[in-house]
Amino acid sequence: MMREEIKKKIRDIVGPENALDSNLERFTYSYDASFIPLLPANEPDLVVRPLTTEEVSKLMVIAYEHEIPVTPRGIASGRTGGSIPLKGGISLSLDRMTKILELDEKNMMVTAEAGVRTFDLYNYCAAKGLFYPPDPASWKFSTIGGNVAENAGGMRAVKYGVTSNYVMGLEVVLADGTVLQTGGKAIKNVTGYDLVSLFTGSEGTLGIITKALLKLIPMPKKRGTLQIMFRTLDDGCMTIHKMLQSNIVPATAEIMDKTCLDAVARHRKMDLAPAIGASIVIEIDGEDDKALEAQAKQIEAVAKECGSIEFRIAQSQQESDELWAIRRGLSAAVAGLAPNRLGEDISVPRDALPEVVRRIRSVAEKYKLTIAVYGHAGDGNLHPSVLCDLSNHEEAERVHQAVEEIFKAALAVGGTLSGEHGIGITKRPYITLALGEAGVKTLKAVKQALDPKGILNPGKIW
Amino acid sequence: MHKTTDNELLQDAKKNVSQCDRCGTCLPICPLFEAKGVETSSARGKNTIARALAEGGLEPTPDVLAAVNFCLLCRACVETCPSKIKTDEAMINVRQYLINRAGGPSVKYKAIGGFLKSRGMVKIAAGTLSILRKLGLNSVFPDGMVPEEYTRAHFLAAFAGPAALGQKVLPSDVAVTATTKVAYFKGCGMRMMFPKASAETLKILKTTARVMLKNNVCCGMPHLAHGLRDEFLALAKKNIRLYEDAEVVVCDCASCGGALKHIASYFNEDPEWKDQAAAFSRKVMDLTEYLVKVGYTPRQKVDTTFTYHDPCHLVRGQGIKKQPRDLLKATGKFVEMKEADTCCAGAGTFHMDYPDISSKIIEKKRQNIEGTGAAIVVTGCPGCLIQLTKAAKASGGKFKPMHISQVI
Repeated sequence: MMREEIKKKIRDIVGPENALDSNLERFTYSYDASFIPLLPANEPDLVVRPLTTEEVSKLMVIAYEHEIPVTPRGIASGRTGGSIPLKGGISLSLDRMTKILELDEKNMMVTAEAGVRTFDLYNYCAAKGLFYPPDPASWKFSTIGGNVAENAGGMRAVKYGVTSNYVMGLEVVLADGTVLQTGGKAIKNVTGYDLVSLFTGSEGTLGIITKALLKLIPMPKKRGTLQIMFRTLDDGCMTIHKMLQSNIVPATAEIMDKTCLDAVARHRKMDLAPAIGASIVIEIDGEDDKALEAQAKQIEAVAKECGSIEFRIAQSQQESDELWAIRRGLSAAVAGLAPNRLGEDISVPRDALPEVVRRIRSVAEKYKLTIAVYGHAGDGNLHPSVLCDLSNHEEAERVHQAVEEIFKAALAVGGTLSGEHGIGITKRPYITLALGEAGVKTLKAVKQALDPKGILNPGKIW
Repeated sequence: MHKTTDNELLQDAKKNVSQCDRCGTCLPICPLFEAKGVETSSARGKNTIARALAEGGLEPTPDVLAAVNFCLLCRACVETCPSKIKTDEAMINVRQYLINRAGGPSVKYKAIGGFLKSRGMVKIAAGTLSILRKLGLNSVFPDGMVPEEYTRAHFLAAFAGPAALGQKVLPSDVAVTATTKVAYFKGCGMRMMFPKASAETLKILKTTARVMLKNNVCCGMPHLAHGLRDEFLALAKKNIRLYEDAEVVVCDCASCGGALKHIASYFNEDPEWKDQAAAFSRKVMDLTEYLVKVGYTPRQKVDTTFTYHDPCHLVRGQGIKKQPRDLLKATGKFVEMKEADTCCAGAGTFHMDYPDISSKIIEKKRQNIEGTGAAIVVTGCPGCLIQLTKAAKASGGKFKPMHISQVI
């Protein structure tokens, strides 16, 4: 428990209404969107909601002095337990830091505080014809700080890359309260270690990200959505390879297997032709309608060659929104199929996608489990979701073995544990499997150098 | 009849909220989270609180009751939730559970409930404030009665344009079969605070059919929302009986209409009342729903710009979005406002319980209304009208709020 005098010092910094310690408030900052059980709750001793970098810095001075664990948090929409205050201490919620500080149109860069919602930043830039591409499924509510700390991906990665491809600079409050400014607007920059890349994806274990300088690109003028149905997942994957090899790069290429399609059909009360075993939803973008039409024609030809059975072009914005709403709501729709859902986030070389899906199928058979598979086929990032009832102990045991085998399957084909959700708590047991002893040792050495007292988001990654 | 036990209430809520994935989709949608920013104020927070309460992770303390009470029941979260978690229903169940445990609702809610239950009291109150003051309810009615100038007569005088001025209202050309038995449900809010709008509803209805007049009792929504479930059921039974001979029950209050349409679901396990309740709920229609169905033509065409605020209990409670807009477009110019379906934070007694948060939310609504340049903001709910009246006052008279029956 945190001493009252320390709480008082913190209240003096952020104001009493922004340092909460009632049982109820502490409980509601104990979870995120991962499958870590709600109870027993991992409650912080104090929830702190600072408004400025200066407040964060002063708070870290106190935390450092008294060795209080600090777990930074945006909106707690992460899927791996990254923002769960596992060791108590302070839940540092950056959701009040919501200022967009500068939009530099000439350099095409934007500076925003950590608590700005990604969707708000996107719209802010879009109003000036500029495009911030990373679009994790959570972008309407997740924050820039969280996106950078987790190096969030998204559907547009196949053409536009992930968050780290856009982070040019960061403001980070270090464990002892020092405020570090790193990176900048110069495109070429090899002065010293690349700290921007180090902090991006560090999951709150190396410092508190308070501001980010992000690169923008011109907004594509036209967008279109296609939906293609296949008999098998392999046909769908083959279509994507052939497209990319022929230099047709869609903005997104999302794949769903039959279990997912059934979940959506049930959720939306619609019927699917029985022959359909997989679906790809593709977003294309370009200069004008003609460019879009040409791309759609090329894709249709490739898909046909690969055995597609249905090809649909969204005829209106509404139809297109509808298709993407299905994809964005998929995670939750699949979760609704069973009492528990363990959603994973493996990432494999793109050509290994059909192979890893086959391996996941045999894992499902071996452990008698339903595993729904969907993901970003364009970049090899898959979300196998194990549908189960964890209150059944015998089943829970099978689930854990199955998850371990899914990870092993990903590693066996040259892939890795996590594409975009991070390691957090849920994938911690498998980190050595993925990185090897030397890899984990190196991570620990970095951590030791930047957070010698181990107060920043303790209990995560390894 | 089947009596819902405390445990069942909590288990019902648990079954509902345990499907919450905690993904966060509801966070930017919840007007209270927007205004307050802490997790307890969000739909996700309240779902997890309900679940922890049911699973023994939280004790039923007063701050838990305060947290579940801090919900507008506006269903914005339900609509956007990928798992369709019914947070509003869970909150109603948990409120009832906590209140039963505590031995009854607070004196204030009991007073409101008792007051609305009594038909006589509601009638006496119509046109007077003294009883409301005695009950400490005068803050519900910020300006006493709704100002005289917001009546239909004034609306016509100010906006109808020369052609319509002073003319007799033309009869509507709607053909309704002589046999359709249409009845009006007069809600307490309409009766007490907007008697003139209520009179207009009746006039409009009379142009479409021979209207049966009933001496109905309260719909029971306030009772249900605040842990007086037994009173809600008793009122529901009275109304079911009263409207047995009607084929259509028209309601000009979104909340009453929503409550009446949902009565059936509360009698599912009551063999004696199940069928009657289902039959009753089926025949309830919102005024605009009914009017569009019978092909009603507004009594005049005016050169006025309208905008429309969606009451939660209409847009999400009953799925009625298009009908009021169609009627307004047929009456004058129509401009859609930003976030028209965001709750105005009236929410029954919410605006009395949490005046600061409520004003924050209505302030945003005011800006959105002003953004349209409309002279009149129309809605279909007395609770919303009170909030919009506050917004109009704050705008310095840039627009006026009116019930839809006063303009069409």
